[in-house]
Amino acid sequence: MAEPRLVQLAVDGRRRSGLAEPRLLLADFLRHELGLTGVHVACEQGGCGACLIRLDGRLALSCLVLAVQADGAAVETAEGLARNGELHPIQQAFRTKHGLQCGFCTPGLLLATRALLEADARPDEPTIRRHLSGNVCRCTGYTGIVAAVQEAARLVGEAAG
Amino acid sequence: MSRRFRYVGRGLPRVEDDRLLRGRVSFLDDVRLPGMLHVAFVRSPLAHAELRRVDTAAAAQLDGVTAVVTGADLPGELEIVTGSSRPEAGEWRRPLLARDRVRYVGEPVAAVAACSRYVAEDACELVAVEYEPLEPVVDAERALEPDATLLHERHGSNNFAHVEFEHGDVDAAFARAAHVFRKRFHFGRTHAAPLEARGGAADWSGDLTFWSSTQMPFLVRSMIARLYRLPETGVRVIVPAVGGGFGLKVHLYVEEAILPFLSRLVAAPVKWAEDRYEHLAASGHSKEVLCDLELATTDDGSFLGLRGRFLGDGGAHQGHPWSSLIDPLCAAAMLPGVYEVDAVAYEVDAAATNKCPSTAYRGVGWTSGQAAREALIDDAARTLGLDPIELRLRNCLPDGEPSVSATGCRYDGGSYRASLRRIRELVDYEGFRERQLRLRGQGRFVGIGFSPFVEQGGWAAQIAADQGFPGSGYLDSVCVTVEPDGSVTLATGLQSNGQGHETTLAQIAADGLGVRPEDVRVVQGDTATGAYSTGSWGSRTAVIAGGSILRAADDVRAKLLEIAAAELEAAAGDLQVEDGLVSVRGSPDRALSVASVAAAAYAGRVPSGLEPSLTSTRSYDPPATYSNACIACVVEVDAETGRTTVERLVAVEDCGTVVNPLVVDGQVAGAVAQGVGAILYEGLPYDADGQFLAGSLGEFLYPTAPELPDVEVDHLATPSPVTEGGIKGMGEGGLIGAPAAVVNAVADALEPFGVAIDRTPLRPCDILALIDSASAAATPATP
Repeated sequence: MAEPRLVQLAVDGRRRSGLAEPRLLLADFLRHELGLTGVHVACEQGGCGACLIRLDGRLALSCLVLAVQADGAAVETAEGLARNGELHPIQQAFRTKHGLQCGFCTPGLLLATRALLEADARPDEPTIRRHLSGNVCRCTGYTGIVAAVQEAARLVGEAAG
Repeated sequence: MSRRFRYVGRGLPRVEDDRLLRGRVSFLDDVRLPGMLHVAFVRSPLAHAELRRVDTAAAAQLDGVTAVVTGADLPGELEIVTGSSRPEAGEWRRPLLARDRVRYVGEPVAAVAACSRYVAEDACELVAVEYEPLEPVVDAERALEPDATLLHERHGSNNFAHVEFEHGDVDAAFARAAHVFRKRFHFGRTHAAPLEARGGAADWSGDLTFWSSTQMPFLVRSMIARLYRLPETGVRVIVPAVGGGFGLKVHLYVEEAILPFLSRLVAAPVKWAEDRYEHLAASGHSKEVLCDLELATTDDGSFLGLRGRFLGDGGAHQGHPWSSLIDPLCAAAMLPGVYEVDAVAYEVDAAATNKCPSTAYRGVGWTSGQAAREALIDDAARTLGLDPIELRLRNCLPDGEPSVSATGCRYDGGSYRASLRRIRELVDYEGFRERQLRLRGQGRFVGIGFSPFVEQGGWAAQIAADQGFPGSGYLDSVCVTVEPDGSVTLATGLQSNGQGHETTLAQIAADGLGVRPEDVRVVQGDTATGAYSTGSWGSRTAVIAGGSILRAADDVRAKLLEIAAAELEAAAGDLQVEDGLVSVRGSPDRALSVASVAAAAYAGRVPSGLEPSLTSTRSYDPPATYSNACIACVVEVDAETGRTTVERLVAVEDCGTVVNPLVVDGQVAGAVAQGVGAILYEGLPYDADGQFLAGSLGEFLYPTAPELPDVEVDHLATPSPVTEGGIKGMGEGGLIGAPAAVVNAVADALEPFGVAIDRTPLRPCDILALIDSASAAATPATP
């Protein structure tokens, strides 16, 4: 067992640090060392998107990154989406359009949606479906999710004026 | 039984969403306790072998390892005993770790408790196991041959159970038939594969606390208490948020059942969170049934008789506690489906094979039986030159009338024909057929498939008997309490695993009491605060919780009105209560809030002789009730690549009284998508040695957003005349009906090739094989 190393991150704008063995996955570090419940692990194979985060601004599967590799990085999770206690418009849209059931895939989908809408404020349905192809949802059949993303685009557009 | 509803029927957004959207919810793997150790299992790499020696010495010496346990270390009585209300099934025992023999790839052989899951897995690699390979039995038909190697020698057979049934004069029906259509259909293995895999935690010091990702907290408590010979009061089961269940979490698995033993042994809390390989290979597989069907018809296609033989592939052990019959027997019990047919006979077997144990997955055996029957009906329509919808309408039960099927299923009336007619409009059937012909001329192959069905709502004693499990009883209760400030606690042992019970059950309670849904807090997920229930599965929660809630609410409301009557100096019979306000009918100014009535009760200010507690615990064992629906699927098949593209998925759903249409539509869409996944994408292949070949998401392909169109859901409403509130129950239906619709759509698309579909899944490789074998059969062999 190799010696643990100090890993320092900015998580949703707050400085957090902890010890990580070199082999520790970033997903496990965020969940079990830092106590984040908004990062989920479902496959550890990069196949489902439940552990999706933003790492220095880019979408990343935190089960395919070692914690020590992320030392010094800025991490954004779904827990950082709400502002002053209010749900982000993307979160509101998922609620009103029933874009979640068990909620296990939801944090990853919220972050994927935010990245999509930053790149394309008015995505059409095929674009939405293609963009979400890395996120597995076993509950909804994606019907509610696609509707939620369309609604989110509308809400985010309104907020931007 | 009809009631007036104000909130039932509204598509209210879900209460539980807020915290899920914030990512601030604890699922099983978020359970964290001081001193907690982590569990991993050594699993068999072979399908069938004698277990010669398990050497744990090196693993036990690894830094961070607290205990390594093998089957030999467990007390002999620590066994899971699976039976059934069917006497044919007998009693089957299974130790919590393999003892002398392993019977499937992934079977747990040893358990490690260590300071982290990482170290526990390191230790697993250091456990040396000596196996003596035995002949693997991978095929259910082979398993039942007299010379097959036995998996469980003391049972003397590889058949978990054999069941026979006959109603009407079946031989006579077949003797006078103008046509007899036969079909052998192998419905392939499927996996519920919720995104959150299995998991459990145990902390046994004094009383035992057991965390479980389950759909049935109280049944888990009963089973754990029985296994460890503890009083039920000495076991508390806590269920964190559940990341999907779909039936896979209606079982007690050996990996969970051993956790209390390990906690006791290491004197610390222990947790096991399953990884994806374990989940795919060794949790539970479902729905594999070999169906042999025969349909006798008159010259004009009227159904005279049905015969079926359903051979379930039960895997190495029975899913506990429901047994391996839940696939083949449920398939058989629904043999008539929505059709009028008087003469029906079936035989059922459930074979033990060297594959992952079979467990429940949304719709259990109704899915395979539906697919086989509906594929056979399409075959018959093609042969008779009849339109598949016309043939179905010709034989379909009349709408609205309660009736009893030849297999004894007590249907409470539905929109069986109307749903077929409605879906024909929604898909623009005539327009589709024109387009299909046009595209065929261009070498493009589109097809349409239909699948009308009934869905068994509210699984309780009567419907269990309908489905071949007589003598099963279930106690499901809820407790409704009005608190001192007029807010309402609804305690239940039913368990949401994504459906949204905190919203829907509150809607029912709000109507039952006359308060607002936001005044009702649903308490679930803890046997210390819930009310005994057998759990959420079998499309039962809305029916059973609904009935229990309405009954308990009637009790409490009656008491509220009596207390209010005294305060308002009116007769209780003249009072009404709505949105938290009790008022005298016709005199709205004479009113009191439920809060002030509750305050009076909690202050003991009640009419003399009235016991003031504002609480009631009631149960409900509903009569048999059946939702119905029809699903249509439109596909295009690329005959060069074998790839199937799903163009449309349409469902016409009738679940009687709808509690929350948003939730109902979500359940339909999700279940239909699972049906598409099961047929077009997900396979669970084993090789001839019983090696499992789909151990990662590289092989097990969940459908993702680009593979699916929006699921279009339309509603008809035939409220049940027999259940409280007319609620019929739904949730499973999409996965009962959609696979048949997809199979029939693919068959319709490939009709020009003369392809007969006799199996699932239908991945591109399977489609190409079907086309190849059809063209080989059509072309004489060249020398």
